Amino acid sequence: MPNATAVDDAITGEVIRSGLLVAAEEASVVVVRSSHSTFIQEGADACAAILDAAGQLVAQSTATSLMHGASLRSSLPALLEESPLDSMGPGDVFALNDPYRGGIHANDILVFRPVFGDGRVVFFAGTLIHVADLGGNAVAGLAALATDTFAEGLLLPPVHLYRKGEPVDDVLGIIARNSRAPDKVTGDVRALVAGVNVIARRLEELVERFGTTTVERFVRDSIDDAERRVRDDLRRLPAGTYHGAFEIDGDGVDPDREFEVNVAVTARDGSIDVDFGGTSPQARGTINSSFSQTLSGVVYAVRCFVDPTIPMNEGCFRPLHTRLPGGTLVNPNPPAACGGRIMTVAAAVEAILQALAEARPDHAVGASALIHVFSLSGVDARGAPWLNLFYEFGGLGARAGSDGPDATGAFFLGGRSVLPQIEPLEAQYPLVVRSSRLWVDSGGAGEWRGGLGVETVIELLTPAVVTVRGARMDLPPPGARGGRPGRAGTFAVARHDGTADVLPAKAANVEIAAGERFVLRTSGGGGLGPPERRDPHRVLADVLAGRVSAEGAASDYAVVLDGSGTSIDQPATDRLRDERIAEHP
Amino acid sequence: MTDQRPHFVGVDVGGTFTDVVLADSAGGVTIGKVPTTPDDPRRGVVEGIRDALGRAAVDPGAVSRVVHGTTLATNVVVQRTAAPIALVATEGFGDLLRLGREARVEEDRYDLFFTPADPPVDARLTFEVAERVSAKGEVLVPLTDEAIAGVARRVAAAQPAGVSVCLLHAYAHPAHEQAVAEACRAAVPAAYVVSSSEVWPEMREYERAMTTAVCALVGPVMAAYVAGLESSLHDLGIRCGVEIMESSGGVMSAQAAARRPVATVESGGAAGVTAAGIVGRSVGLADVISFDMGGTTAKTGIVRDGSPAITHDFQIGGKGSFGGTRAGTGVPVKIPVVDLAEVGAGGGSVAWVDAGALHVGPQSAGAVPGPACYRRGGTEPTVTDANLLLGYLDAGGLAGGVTLDADLAAAAVGESIANPLGIDIPGAAHAIHEIVNETMASAIRVVTVQRGIDPRGFTLVGFGGAGPMHVARLAAAFGIQSVVVPWAAGVGSAIGLVSSDLTVDLVQTRILDLEHADATTLTQLFDELEARGRKELDDAGATFVMTRSADMRFHGQAHQLTVSVPDGPLGDEDLSGLAKRFHEVYRQTYGIDADAPAQLVNARVRVVRVVDKLSPRSHQVAERDPNVALAGERAASFVEVGGFTTTPVFDWSRLEPGSRLVGPAIVEGADATIVVPPGYSAAVDRWRNVVLASGEAS
Repeated sequence: MPNATAVDDAITGEVIRSGLLVAAEEASVVVVRSSHSTFIQEGADACAAILDAAGQLVAQSTATSLMHGASLRSSLPALLEESPLDSMGPGDVFALNDPYRGGIHANDILVFRPVFGDGRVVFFAGTLIHVADLGGNAVAGLAALATDTFAEGLLLPPVHLYRKGEPVDDVLGIIARNSRAPDKVTGDVRALVAGVNVIARRLEELVERFGTTTVERFVRDSIDDAERRVRDDLRRLPAGTYHGAFEIDGDGVDPDREFEVNVAVTARDGSIDVDFGGTSPQARGTINSSFSQTLSGVVYAVRCFVDPTIPMNEGCFRPLHTRLPGGTLVNPNPPAACGGRIMTVAAAVEAILQALAEARPDHAVGASALIHVFSLSGVDARGAPWLNLFYEFGGLGARAGSDGPDATGAFFLGGRSVLPQIEPLEAQYPLVVRSSRLWVDSGGAGEWRGGLGVETVIELLTPAVVTVRGARMDLPPPGARGGRPGRAGTFAVARHDGTADVLPAKAANVEIAAGERFVLRTSGGGGLGPPERRDPHRVLADVLAGRVSAEGAASDYAVVLDGSGTSIDQPATDRLRDERIAEHP
Repeated sequence: MTDQRPHFVGVDVGGTFTDVVLADSAGGVTIGKVPTTPDDPRRGVVEGIRDALGRAAVDPGAVSRVVHGTTLATNVVVQRTAAPIALVATEGFGDLLRLGREARVEEDRYDLFFTPADPPVDARLTFEVAERVSAKGEVLVPLTDEAIAGVARRVAAAQPAGVSVCLLHAYAHPAHEQAVAEACRAAVPAAYVVSSSEVWPEMREYERAMTTAVCALVGPVMAAYVAGLESSLHDLGIRCGVEIMESSGGVMSAQAAARRPVATVESGGAAGVTAAGIVGRSVGLADVISFDMGGTTAKTGIVRDGSPAITHDFQIGGKGSFGGTRAGTGVPVKIPVVDLAEVGAGGGSVAWVDAGALHVGPQSAGAVPGPACYRRGGTEPTVTDANLLLGYLDAGGLAGGVTLDADLAAAAVGESIANPLGIDIPGAAHAIHEIVNETMASAIRVVTVQRGIDPRGFTLVGFGGAGPMHVARLAAAFGIQSVVVPWAAGVGSAIGLVSSDLTVDLVQTRILDLEHADATTLTQLFDELEARGRKELDDAGATFVMTRSADMRFHGQAHQLTVSVPDGPLGDEDLSGLAKRFHEVYRQTYGIDADAPAQLVNARVRVVRVVDKLSPRSHQVAERDPNVALAGERAASFVEVGGFTTTPVFDWSRLEPGSRLVGPAIVEGADATIVVPPGYSAAVDRWRNVVLASGEAS
């Protein structure tokens, strides 16, 4: 039959490609379901990825954060430096977490297992999660005011966790002894190992079924194919160099310093060069982004301008060239602290999106409000110590033609499925969540409105300590093209005496008495276009849906509602809008 | 003279065809297939039943059960067509659904314009009530009469069609919810009111609230649909009520379905897996994979130890490569759902070429215009056209009520596939067949290898109008040695409907450290659930079968695994047995050990009321000559022989139990055609099932 081989080949390729993806997907689920950190179990996705022996990214789980996938990709060379391929054997499992060797920060542990075919290493299975606690000067990996990596927790160079299938108890012992939650961290490491074991099993089945070289050939083709598709789409961008900049609101340590990420993005013949020249020198605080993390931001931003269905593998990295000046926020020198790197990664994404929006104005967006992280810890009524990492999202920036989604953090984050729910939290920890609502009027005003932030009130039942790391609170997410910034979020403690202690955006180990309340407001996303141009009916719909107050409609959008609050007073609206335009022509 | 013996009707509404089975208690079966009427599925249902009764000459008054598989609930949720409903939530948490738990996966991640779906309840119809209960079920803020009256008044002013009440920790203390629900019933008598503790008292407020909201959304529609259907059937002379297949594989009365309509979300799919399980049991196989390929989609599921695998993480309209269970990609419902994977691959699936690559589905030509070979004006090549060109279907023969036209099939495949790809027509037909097999294989992969299950020890049960043509190839792709095509395969799901008992599934969240738990508390917990189940299936003289299970985890974990629990009063040894079983399941599932103390989180009970149903008719088996059933021969294409070869065609209805034949061969039934590839043998068992086996060409 003509072309029978081609048909066969296509089918085999499909089986191999989906087999790889499914292996990664399955591993991510296994890690989540068997982990012990509440915020991982209740939602946060584990990253699982497959790399080839040359360190190329082959596949990753579908809900995985690019930050995590890029870290696994960037750290494999460090592992190979310490343990060359020919020294590895079946059943070996390795761990590392050094931000200066591809890692993120101490609490994000990376685990690798080599996968063998024809007696040699063909692939690596990798998994990564934020573990419960690994020391450092505040709990749960949230050392918000650390000024070097040593204050952020135990760093592991590439080490064996298992050797030929046998656990290396010395290393596991060191990890446990350096944690405030030794049982949880041990459970988390076991979960990571379970994940790489799943991938290894699936890949061995594939290699056995189709043969090593066939699998390798299809992996190569699939990477080449992704690269070709990315380049084809990039060729459609008007060639040129575009500039973007994004200011970070502070590192919590040097209040007078200003931090900015600067990019010059050059689109040319199917490739993109990103030059971070002009970016601020590295911070003393934790906002520094190790190279793998900055790279993840670059890949993410560029992927927003190509076909989203292109599979995420090495082919997406190849057309990109980055210049990351050393000693800056985007490529710091050791031992700069890195735990708050999301602020710099997100600034890099915003700066690149802003630059490329010059080439593609339909892709203009307001800035997003990102993620507000806090940890709570204490001793419960039965005398048992407890700790947990929490986070909540701010609003997304407005897009040309649609409002920003509420409380989802940033375009590159995976959505709200990663947040724990209230009932299981209350079942496990001595706290009561008193309310959790969208924060009215927090979305940045604009022709297209920024997404809303959230207001959450948590009552502590026993004395506790809180550490906070807010983003885009001192400088709320700016709007674009005449849109207003989102409202700035806050952390506060409502005291027994009726006062509210407003905390700095980054603060460590603040005490809360039993019965006092921790109050979190996340920022709103930035608006897009002048608010006076927003269709008044959209403003009315926002009022009816509780996103904008009647007062906000008048002050932010110059829309006046009638006495019932359910319809627009058109003459009054026209007058007010005319006045506004006269004031700011 | 009409037949007056009790009869059971099963009717399954698919995307293309509505399948009808009319069965008597002695195992006699009449089958029917009519086009589905999507604008009002009832028309097709009534038409199909009328037709079957007429052909079998059965008095409608003799019908004692009508069991229905319907996609109504799923359609209502996915298409958002229902009238607005209200939600009552604890003060401070009215934004519970709106804040949502959406996940951005796959291509959504890189879409700057991605917008999460709106929740099923409008913000203006969400009401807060002052009250609060702790995780232990203690009242932190009492619910006052004023608060109850106030919220009922506000709800009434909005005049919703349905009201869902979901208060925090109501699984531990349902009284507040019940009081609010009662007040809403009194204030809006026309509305369908439901509370989360009635529907599904399990911890995790978002999924529980969604499950409750889906009930309120679907309830009024389901009640009206069932009432209309019962009335139409009554006009036909059928006097019994309608029963609905549940997503967990049991059957519920129409009244119960109206009370808990969320339980019908995967009604049709569940019937297929149930049918496969019954086939498996009758032939003595405990582990089977169900493969049901119709006109629009193919569905797979697995049966282990005789029971369909169940998921508790179902998302209506969900996506991601985990077969609709990726959290945050759909509307989550916390009821047990038969663990299904569904792909857009059926006989009507359209083949198309894009940028030099061949794709099949997910679009379907449906029943109208149908495949090109149906002569109903369809010009796009479909899987059925390819199967006709490969000689698997009979040119000039009947299918779907029409005569198949091979010239039209060849024209469609030639123009849309063969020419653009530069290959010949048989090559293109072969490619379509293979690609659709690959799509369906991915559905088998979802329910097996993706769940960590090796399919090789299983038997593949292939049915549905198109399934028996593909089943042997699929089995080979997974190294599965044994294949069964059940008698009446073309309407397999409807057979499942009339073979099922009345069932109810119940849950109660109760967090207990197993080390400190006492057996009496646990016994009481299960006894209460069983009593509730018996009451729901009320019938004093009935026989009940109870199945207990428990969701367990290690202290400090959040996710659970389900472990079976012994019947009757539990002793201390049962508690330690439970812990031991949990450790074993954990090791099997995750491949690692853990030594933390075990905790029980949810108690689950399935209560089954045994009722009259179809039991398959057994025949004498003897050595038979298959050639008495030889109906002819035709050229059919097989890769093993490098193309077309003369292939004998047998008439399934004339193949006596005990007949054996060797591939290549084709077995034609009234409702389905079985392809027996070279290297396979086929044997007819005592239930007239065709059992295919590879590598024993005897």
